[in-house]
Amino acid sequence: MKNILDPVSRRNFLKAGAALGGGIVAAGMPLSQAIWAAEGKVLKARSAINYLTFDPGFYALNHEVDVMNCIYSKLTRYKPGSHWEWELEAAEKIEQLDPTHIRFRLRKGIKFTGGHGELTAKDVKFSFERVIKHNSPVKVDWGSLDHVDIEDDYTGVIVLKTPFVPLWLISLPSAVGHIVSEEAVMKATKDGGTFGMKPPAFSGPYAIADWKPNQYVVLTRNPEWSGPKPGFDEIRILPIGDTKAAERAYLAGDIDYSVISMDSVATFKDNPPADTKVEEYQSLNFSWIGMNVDHPKLKDINVRKAIQWAINVSQILDAAYSGQAAPATGIIPPGVIGHRDKSLVPPEGDIEKAKEFLEKAGVSDLALTIDCLNDSTSSTIAQTVQAQLSQVGISLEINSQDGGSFWTVGMESEGERWKDLQLILLPYASLPDPYYPTSWFVQAQVGQATNWERFRSERYDQLAAEGAITEDPNARATLYQEMQDLMEDSGAYRFLTHVGEPIVYRTRKIQTATRPDGYPLYLDFKAI
Amino acid sequence: MWLYLLKRLALAIAIIAIAVTLLFLMIRAVPGDPAAILLGPRATPEMKAQLHHQMGLDKPLVVQITTFFGGLLRGDLGFDVFGQKPVADIVFEQLPYTIELVLFSIFWAVVVAVPLGCYSAMRRNSLVDQVVGVVAVATLAIPSFVMAVYALLFFAVTLRWLPAIGAGDGFWDGLVHLILPGFAIGIGWVGYISRLVRASMLEVLGENHIRMARAFGISEWRIVARYAMPLAILPTVTILGVGIAWLLSSAVFIEVVFARPGIGALIVNAVTARNYPVVMGAVLVTTILIVAATTLSDLINAFLDPRTREKL
Repeated sequence: MKNILDPVSRRNFLKAGAALGGGIVAAGMPLSQAIWAAEGKVLKARSAINYLTFDPGFYALNHEVDVMNCIYSKLTRYKPGSHWEWELEAAEKIEQLDPTHIRFRLRKGIKFTGGHGELTAKDVKFSFERVIKHNSPVKVDWGSLDHVDIEDDYTGVIVLKTPFVPLWLISLPSAVGHIVSEEAVMKATKDGGTFGMKPPAFSGPYAIADWKPNQYVVLTRNPEWSGPKPGFDEIRILPIGDTKAAERAYLAGDIDYSVISMDSVATFKDNPPADTKVEEYQSLNFSWIGMNVDHPKLKDINVRKAIQWAINVSQILDAAYSGQAAPATGIIPPGVIGHRDKSLVPPEGDIEKAKEFLEKAGVSDLALTIDCLNDSTSSTIAQTVQAQLSQVGISLEINSQDGGSFWTVGMESEGERWKDLQLILLPYASLPDPYYPTSWFVQAQVGQATNWERFRSERYDQLAAEGAITEDPNARATLYQEMQDLMEDSGAYRFLTHVGEPIVYRTRKIQTATRPDGYPLYLDFKAI
Repeated sequence: MWLYLLKRLALAIAIIAIAVTLLFLMIRAVPGDPAAILLGPRATPEMKAQLHHQMGLDKPLVVQITTFFGGLLRGDLGFDVFGQKPVADIVFEQLPYTIELVLFSIFWAVVVAVPLGCYSAMRRNSLVDQVVGVVAVATLAIPSFVMAVYALLFFAVTLRWLPAIGAGDGFWDGLVHLILPGFAIGIGWVGYISRLVRASMLEVLGENHIRMARAFGISEWRIVARYAMPLAILPTVTILGVGIAWLLSSAVFIEVVFARPGIGALIVNAVTARNYPVVMGAVLVTTILIVAATTLSDLINAFLDPRTREKL
């Protein structure tokens, strides 16, 4: 309400005049174009999430990293393009001395805002170690990090307790790899804990100029940044949770870059708005139908196999994603080490084989339940599975529920619901190293936050441990492929899809740069 | 009048206390753990226990509710561990967006509907009356979120006259951003209020004092404005008080469709995240708003119609 007294800017006047008076065309251009033409280069992009924190050591959602990339520096960063690779950012050199020691040398002259001085090895040590020291929920991203030794102002050595190969792709170039100012954070928090939504100092090309919850984050150029100048004067990121609302906002010209839904890809491609490009990326996300192997109705592996073979993944993807999503062969997507070329059970399944497995199990008139989220995609998938299983005589009751209830349904610590869990439709987000998605299915995770299938395999656990320390990519790929074989062979998993990350953007305004999974790397966006 | 006021106040406090207690019990009865949602799958049991402790969830339910009401008496709505902010800050950050949306919707609906209703009553069964009647029923039948989507597609996407999302910055920009969502919420009320005003106006226009005024040769417009309107408007005032609750629930959908900040979106997100303190704080404030609006409409009624006061 305080905004009522804000001065009437030219932009606001133009907008209000256009809307209220009906004069919506300025010099023959749509209003949004007129504003664009009159201002500096502003990128208006959509975020699917409401940011919960800007603290990289305590990040909650993967897309928060899109902003962190812009406002902090880190030793290395993801290379834009279609392959998962990294390149130097704040480090001018980084080398693996041995499996547990990594030496880095910082570029000179990277400044923190607010008079907090130059970015040094002391800040790197502080930033990395605070994640462990303060028991951050994301400390697993640092794997076996022990500490950081400081050699001089610009040089340090990252010391691991045991080798941790995923560090190169999920730690250093991602959220927990961002470097914050020790001086500024200590001043703001006293103990070096989380600073939430109030970064005390910036060290990247942009700084947060304004943030309004549920409204926007505005990034403007960091005046103390001495590195290469990023493409835009201002980046305005608007949190729009509903993807359809985001698509309408794009069509209306309110945003110039957005992720769209899979079922809108065909519409955008067939009938593209002016100066618009649609690009599709391979998401790291994965979804599957899990089966609780401890449930009396699903204890027999033949019943689980029958369900695996009765489920036609291609049909499901046609129904839920208008055929735009490709079937998954496992939990590791193409482009990431360990991806399997094909699954053991083909996407189409086989009804006859399913019936054979049911006969072998001696089961008839089987009635099961499936738990899923209450969004439309999950409901469509569950309904399709319901129809498919009915073909082999299995009736399926769908338990749709909101996220608050769903994400605890298989946890032993949350009551007795896990005992009744039978089938479950799960979507997970991931990171670009096989260590990350496979770590959810070890025996230690049974009944915890993950592994609600209660899948147990000594061999799987052994391979998971080996995967974290094996450096040879081919050897890693082989063992992660075997792990997925073990999962599928247990009958507890029917892999569905990695979905995809389709984006749209206005070609007359921006040239995009993304990670292989379509996440925006705003620093590499260019204004046209 | 004072006795009436005191009675209303006592009733309002009782309603708020009951509503908040029920909500407190209901939200804890449904499955879900805020720690599991906030900390994600990577959280250890120790981290969850720590968060439970910070949120006071490790204490017995009676202690939790007593603490909540105790804080309330001191004007403290609690602390949001998720956002590391006092709940009051979060709620009052979002509340103005919803209030401005609701007030804007009511304002334009009343401004359009009351004259329409009066005109329909004065020209009963005329073409205008019939057209207004049909349109009114049609707007009532269309849910506000459907209206929102089509209005958005037409005015924002096709014509590009108005913004599709957000709440804008500053007064003018904010006003522009209110037009479409306000239209979507208010349009149904135009139909409803115009029908209501028409019906009560017809009733009042048939009363003795109006016939007397006509006999004195006073113009019809003056009769309507000076003698009939104060009585005919009473049911509308009552309905508007109740309507605030309806409008607040409509605002939830509208805030999602237009990606607007507001209390509706805040409550939905907080419920999904099982963020109990924010749910409690936001619902408490909206309950107070609703109770205040209905009380205010009763008081206005009593002020406009002395007969109401006498019945107390």
